Amino acid sequence: MNNTFNIHRFGLVFKKTVLERPMQLFGLTVLSLAVVFFVYVLGKQLSGFDVAQNASFLLGLVGGGCFLASFVFGYFSTNAMGSSFLTLPASHFEKWLCGILLTGVWYVLIFLLFYRFVDTLFVGIYRRSLDSNGPFFKELYEQVQIFPFDGFVANKAAIMFVNFAGAMLVGSLYFNKVNFIKVALLISAFWLGAWLFNLMIAKAMIQDVNNAMPYFLVWIDINKDQGRIELPGKLLTVVGILIQYVVPAILWMVAYIRLREKEF
Amino acid sequence: MIEIQNMSFGYNSKKLLYKNLSLSLETGSIYGLLGRNGAGKSTLLKNMIGLLFPLEGTIEVNGFSPKKRLPSFLETIYFIPEEVYVPSLTIKKYINLFSPFYPNFNAAQMCNHLQELDVKTADKLNTLSFGQQKKFIIAFGLACNTKVLLLDEPTNGLDIPSKKRFRKLIASEMNDDRMIFISTHQIRDLDNLIDRVVIVDDGQLLLDASVAAIGEKLLFTDVDEIQDKDKILYAEESLHGISIVTENTINADTKVNLEHLFNAVTENPERIKQLFKLINKVK
Repeated sequence: MNNTFNIHRFGLVFKKTVLERPMQLFGLTVLSLAVVFFVYVLGKQLSGFDVAQNASFLLGLVGGGCFLASFVFGYFSTNAMGSSFLTLPASHFEKWLCGILLTGVWYVLIFLLFYRFVDTLFVGIYRRSLDSNGPFFKELYEQVQIFPFDGFVANKAAIMFVNFAGAMLVGSLYFNKVNFIKVALLISAFWLGAWLFNLMIAKAMIQDVNNAMPYFLVWIDINKDQGRIELPGKLLTVVGILIQYVVPAILWMVAYIRLREKEF
Repeated sequence: MIEIQNMSFGYNSKKLLYKNLSLSLETGSIYGLLGRNGAGKSTLLKNMIGLLFPLEGTIEVNGFSPKKRLPSFLETIYFIPEEVYVPSLTIKKYINLFSPFYPNFNAAQMCNHLQELDVKTADKLNTLSFGQQKKFIIAFGLACNTKVLLLDEPTNGLDIPSKKRFRKLIASEMNDDRMIFISTHQIRDLDNLIDRVVIVDDGQLLLDASVAAIGEKLLFTDVDEIQDKDKILYAEESLHGISIVTENTINADTKVNLEHLFNAVTENPERIKQLFKLINKVK
């Protein structure tokens, strides 16, 4: 018997994972999508399409993704549930892969499809509402575009998603109860610490520092204007690769190692 | 078969719950693990299934190291914790989702067990009472036909008729290829069920003997008056006089009283160890 991966057994684990807690799994997904819709509508009414698109995409992918990531291994809030999960005759890899697929593939696909649908719908409604004979029709028509999934915001949201969701997966295997809140607090503390540390270092080295982003950017006051100092190109690329690929890969792998070593 | 060699375990490495515990459990027996609250009974079971890892020493169950929690190991063992988990599923859906993981699962047996334990519902399992949920999991665990079945306080939450049915069911499902290991502090619930007794206290294995061997070596009787206090391992006033446990020097055949045995063992650990070591040597 293959004790690491067996396609039939994996199918059984996946089926069990989805159908064992369907209300929670689908409920969380529906709730996340409802929030995306609400934020989109509210943002559009209050601040226009740009804010609506960016805020709802960020919240849906990062917020919803993290929420689901904290749930997929959330079996350890009770002794009985944790024992049942860990003693189910399936490999750690298969159990881990279920969590990864639900968080990183299933939710992301559903979210992107839903987001594209909502965005297309509202952009279409906006465009149809324009007077095609009006003098500024072309400008107004082109002013609002479908949110690009390969744009700057989508890219940053994806980076945040892989990092924070990875942290949530690991956190749900370290903290048995209220893991979402605990990990969110830890991430916030880490972010704040990194920002303060960077600011402190920047102030020690550079005069008139206005602000310093956690790792890559320092804003300085130059008379009444502001200027920015970025990391040198190569270093920025290296840090970018670390944050985009290496750190998330480590986090998602640590979740697997932690699952193997989990005592309960 | 379960083989524990020099196992040490503690939730805190400075304060060990078990130190150098060695124990060998064979198939074909129903073991009763007795101990006080907090003695580490559940901890021992969790080490056997691989939910906890020993700090030192080794555990081997059915030829596997439980720590690795390999699927081929987990399908040979079923663990019923004190508090059971049932998802929001009907009986049929639960069986459909969970039984394929156990190659020897027998659906007909499962139906019989559910009937025996009087669990009937078309509703979702999580709407049942705690006792009903527990009976369902016991029925499922038995129907999985694993080589080893570990039960942690199985009678907690069961009403009196259910406890009787539970004993009957366990006895009827026992066979030579199987081992059932029951941990409990409700000793009376295991009366007439177990054929081997394991007693742990203060991190030590105080007794590991068959009920027959205990009956050979100890005498459980009632007297009006205690005559030779030094020979008494345990004494308790009862309606019939004074119930005592002494060494069986007259080869009398008396029924083992598990509760009195437990008290005798925990109050006189060294004497009992010595007594049963002798038995082992003779055997």
